[in-house]
Amino acid sequence: MLGLRELQLGFAAAVLDGADGVFDRHVRAAGLSGARRLQVYRNNALLSLTGALEAVYPVTRRVVGEGFFQYAAAQYIARHPSRSGDLHAFGEQFPPFLQSFVPAADLVYLPDVARLEWAYHRVFHAADHRPLDVAALARVPAERRGELRFELHPAARLLESAFPILRIWQVNQDDHDGDAAVDLSEGGVKLLIVRRENLEIEFQPLEEGEFDLLQALAGACDFATACGRAMAARPTLDLPACVQRHVSQGVLVAFHLPGS
Amino acid sequence: MTAKPALSRLGPSSIPARAGIGLRAEHYAAVLEAPPPVGWLEVHSENYFGAGGKPLDYLERIRAHYPLSLHGVGLSIGSTDPLDQRHLASLKNLIRRFEPALVSEHLSWNSVGGRYFNDLLPLPYTEEALDHMVARVVQVQDVLGRQILIENPSSYLQYVESAIPEGEFLVALADRSGCGVLLDVNNVYVSARNHGFDASAYLRAIPRRLVQEIHLAGFTVNRFDDGELLIDTHNRPVWPAVWALYRQAVQRFGRIPTLIEWDTDLPELAVLVDEAHRADAILEEHHARAA
Repeated sequence: MLGLRELQLGFAAAVLDGADGVFDRHVRAAGLSGARRLQVYRNNALLSLTGALEAVYPVTRRVVGEGFFQYAAAQYIARHPSRSGDLHAFGEQFPPFLQSFVPAADLVYLPDVARLEWAYHRVFHAADHRPLDVAALARVPAERRGELRFELHPAARLLESAFPILRIWQVNQDDHDGDAAVDLSEGGVKLLIVRRENLEIEFQPLEEGEFDLLQALAGACDFATACGRAMAARPTLDLPACVQRHVSQGVLVAFHLPGS
Repeated sequence: MTAKPALSRLGPSSIPARAGIGLRAEHYAAVLEAPPPVGWLEVHSENYFGAGGKPLDYLERIRAHYPLSLHGVGLSIGSTDPLDQRHLASLKNLIRRFEPALVSEHLSWNSVGGRYFNDLLPLPYTEEALDHMVARVVQVQDVLGRQILIENPSSYLQYVESAIPEGEFLVALADRSGCGVLLDVNNVYVSARNHGFDASAYLRAIPRRLVQEIHLAGFTVNRFDDGELLIDTHNRPVWPAVWALYRQAVQRFGRIPTLIEWDTDLPELAVLVDEAHRADAILEEHHARAA
């Protein structure tokens, strides 16, 4: 007779690790065998977690096809088990997993497509935030503006890829109409993924400079340093207009002055 | 900011003794456009553990129209791992924000050694497991500061170690922890068929005072060369045999709030509403006879 802890560990070994036969003797074989009954739980756990990955990575799934996706998902689940009863966190390691997943090695853009989907998932569920207090920002003395630290909306993410992942994402949407071909040689993209006040998610391809500015601010650089990086990337950037746009569109939502 | 409706929210106090439906994301828009004539709604707590965005916004707006029940599937109460305090804190926040009339979880476990199955797994029904469940339910109720309901699961295996019939285990758990019972009539039927026990006797083993909510759903039959198993798939209408068992439950337990659950292959909202009305008719029938 096993205690509760040992039964649960034995069940996990049988169902998650596929330890065959060992646990069967703890299952009543009424009609159906213990092995058959355990198999139901094996299927359920796999279905539940595969379903969670499918919900976050629909474009990845469409690109590789259902059979391949299920195979990849099963491998992923075995290597990166779910660590929470809240499935929102499950699947975070799927993009790096795909990066080293040999059967997908030819699909060089696939990990970045998955990164885009993970960013979308995080943006979808991220916290709400009020817009930036523009009047308070205007009161910051001009000589101290360089010290400002800005915060991006919790539902804003920056993502850079050497591949046209936005185009790949778009042509793989159910409502996409028209040419579905993607020319990989059209090059990469620097993206802002942001949730609007109406809670819809928007992708904005950003130009050199603008992306660098937001990335520096997101990385907690002060405003002067961020501006320096932006201008280095693109000397012709209209910085004031760029900052104003991201304030009014709710990308930059808070600021503080160190020491005040 | 998202516009919030001016409607004042219905109080947390009670779930009406009528049928309600399980609300899933696919039906958010339809429910808001034309709130269907059902008594109340239930959602899976974990679907609203995100920090913000659409799910919480929809629930906020829908909550203005209906009494709400929060049904958890991920707390892993029966696990021998420590309770996940973060999970519990998220649940507590959700309760504070949405003021549900009922909060429920399962007579099950779904994780061990830090690994989650994200599925409801059966417990061995032993004195040790009972002591453990009692302590855990008490712990959960202490943190949440309220009573929870515990639901009987569908199961596909029984442990050789089990010594207590499930119904008795559930009653002892409720008596010792102070939790209520969410009686899933479909699960009683599914487990009775899978393990060869008497579903009616199961109902009779549960005292009237403990049952505060009933669940109904559809199952799937998986056939093998050596027999069959009923699987609790929530992907089709309630089976006639389960409606029959539900009538018995209503006769025994009276007018109890009853939920129609449907989770995969979701039909149009109207199909769920029709199922809820069938349950309402049975509740009414009983009421008329009892009056």
